[in-house]
Amino acid sequence: MTPAFEKLQKQLKQLPGLGFRSSERIALHLLVEKPAKLRELVQALEEASVSVRRCSRCGNLAEGELCAICADAKRDPSLVCVVEHVPDLVALERSGAYRGVYHVLHGKLSPIQGVAPEDLNLPALLKRAQSGEVKELILALSNDVEGEATCHYITQHLPAAGVKVTRIGFGLPSGAGVLYADSVTLKSALEARREYS
Amino acid sequence: MRLRRVTLQHFRNIAFADLTFSARQQFFVGANAQGKTALLEAIGVITALRSFRASDNRLLITHGQTEAAIACEIEHERFGASRVVIRLRTAGKEVTCDGERIQRLGDYLGRFPTVVFSSQDQLLVRGAPTGRRRWMDSTLSAMDGAYLRSLQQYHRALADRNALLKRGAQAKEIEAFERPLAAAAAMVVQQREQGAAVIGSFVSAAYSRIADGAEPCLFAYEPDALLRTEEAWSERFERARQRDLVFRSTTVGPHRDDYGLLLSERPARDFGSEGQQRSLVLALRLAQLAYFREKCGVEPLLLADDVLGELDPRRRERFWASLGSERQVLATGTRLPEADLGAWEVFDVASGAFAPRPEGPAR
Ligand SMILES: [Zn+2]
Repeated sequence: MTPAFEKLQKQLKQLPGLGFRSSERIALHLLVEKPAKLRELVQALEEASVSVRRCSRCGNLAEGELCAICADAKRDPSLVCVVEHVPDLVALERSGAYRGVYHVLHGKLSPIQGVAPEDLNLPALLKRAQSGEVKELILALSNDVEGEATCHYITQHLPAAGVKVTRIGFGLPSGAGVLYADSVTLKSALEARREYS
Repeated sequence: MRLRRVTLQHFRNIAFADLTFSARQQFFVGANAQGKTALLEAIGVITALRSFRASDNRLLITHGQTEAAIACEIEHERFGASRVVIRLRTAGKEVTCDGERIQRLGDYLGRFPTVVFSSQDQLLVRGAPTGRRRWMDSTLSAMDGAYLRSLQQYHRALADRNALLKRGAQAKEIEAFERPLAAAAAMVVQQREQGAAVIGSFVSAAYSRIADGAEPCLFAYEPDALLRTEEAWSERFERARQRDLVFRSTTVGPHRDDYGLLLSERPARDFGSEGQQRSLVLALRLAQLAYFREKCGVEPLLLADDVLGELDPRRRERFWASLGSERQVLATGTRLPEADLGAWEVFDVASGAFAPRPEGPAR
C-alpha cells in the first residue's frame, strides 16, 4: 500500500468501533471501488466540521447558537431532562413521549476512568437551574454507581428551592442506560419517574 | 444432579478431552500438574462461571489460544437432561443452556451447584479474613444474583471513592460516590447477616456429625460495622472521610468484614487442635453443600481435589456417611483411594490427557 493510503487507514482506525480490518476495508472501498463517493464524503465532513457544534444552552448538536429542540417554541423550557450522551437524547426523542428540553452532560462522573466534574457539561446545567427558568429536572442517567453518583452531585449543587428533581429508572434494567432501552420501556420510565433527593 | 459427560477444549493444559461417566464416583489419578485439578476446575466453572482457583478467567485459556470451551451433559432434578456450553474468551464469556444463550447471569446462577474440597481449604480456618470473605461471597452469589449485584456495585463504588481519596478530591465529589457506596454496603451487610445465619446453622450441625461432638461449634458474621441502612452507612462514611483522605483509602465498610469460627466459644484458629481444625474445614464445605441443596433443590456435585488422603479413617468414615447417597463425587489424587470409599470409575491422567481404565475388580 502507499503512504497516503496508510495515513488514511490510520485515521479511520481511530474511529469508534473500527478495527484494523474494517478500517482497511473502508479505505479500499473509498479509494478503489467507489472513488466518486469520496468527494461527497470529504465535502460532507468539511461542511459538518464547520457548521455542527454544541448547542450553547444544552450541549446537543446544533448548527446555530441553539439546537433544534432548544429553538422549538412548542417545547416546554421549564422541564429539563439530563442525559449522558447525545444518542440518549435521540433515543428519548424517538420514544415520542417527551415535550420538554434537554441537557447533555457528555459523560458521567467516573473517578476510576479519570472523569471529574470539570470534564462534564455541568456548569451550564447549574447556571440554567439557578436562572429560575427550570421547574423540573429529570435525571435520565444510567442506573449504575457512576450514574447514581452523578445524579447526587447535581442535586448537591442545585439552589435550595424552586427546582423539583425526578429520576427515571423504573423499568430500566439495573446497570443499564437510556440508549439500550426500547421506546416502550423509555415511555413508561419517563411516566414513572420518581422524586429524587 | 449427575454429570454424564464433559468435553473440554483449550482449557489450561488440556488441549481436548471428552469424558463419559456412568458411575456415581469418578477418580482421576496421576502425578501432579498433569491436568487433574484443571478438570475439576472446569467442572466447577458451571456453577458461577468462574474458577475456584483463578481470579481471572483469562488464566483458564490455554496459552496462545483465544477461547476455552467447556461442554457438560447433566442429568438434573429440575431441568431433566441439560446441556451447558461455556465459552471463555479473553474479552468475556458466552453461556448456552440447551442451545439457548444466557443473557443475564442472574437467570443462570443457582442452576448447577458444585462444591469443591481442596487442600487450600485449611486457610478458611487458619488464614486471613480475605479467604473467608471470598468463600462466603462465592457461596452466597452462586445462589443469588441480587447478592452478586450488590457486591459488584459495592466494589465499583469503593474503587471510585478510593480513586477520589488518592486524588484528594473535593468533599462534594467524594460524597456523591458515598451515596451508591452506602446503598450497596447496606444491602451487602443485610444479605451477609442473613446468609451467615443460615450457613452457620449448617456448619454447627455438620461439625457435630463429623467431630467427636463434645464441643459446640459456632460460625458467626463479624462485620466491620453492623449497619443495615443506607443512612447509617452514609453517616459512617462521612465521619471517616477526613481520616480516609489521610490514608488515601476507605478504612470502614463491609470490605473489612470477617466471619468468626468458634469452638467452645474460643477462636478455632488459635485454640483448635489440628484435628478440630480439619473437622471444621469439612464442616464448612458440608454446610456449603447443604446451603446449595436447600437454595436450589438440587444435589450438588462434589469435587474433591487431592483431599481424600488427608483424612484419618474415622473422620473420613463420618464425612462420607454425612454426604448422603445421592451425590456424585469426582475426586483426584496421586494414588487410588482406600477400598472403604466404594467403587470408582478410574481415569489415568498424564499431560492433559485422560484414559479410562478398563473395569477391573472392585476398586
Ligand atoms: Zn439545545
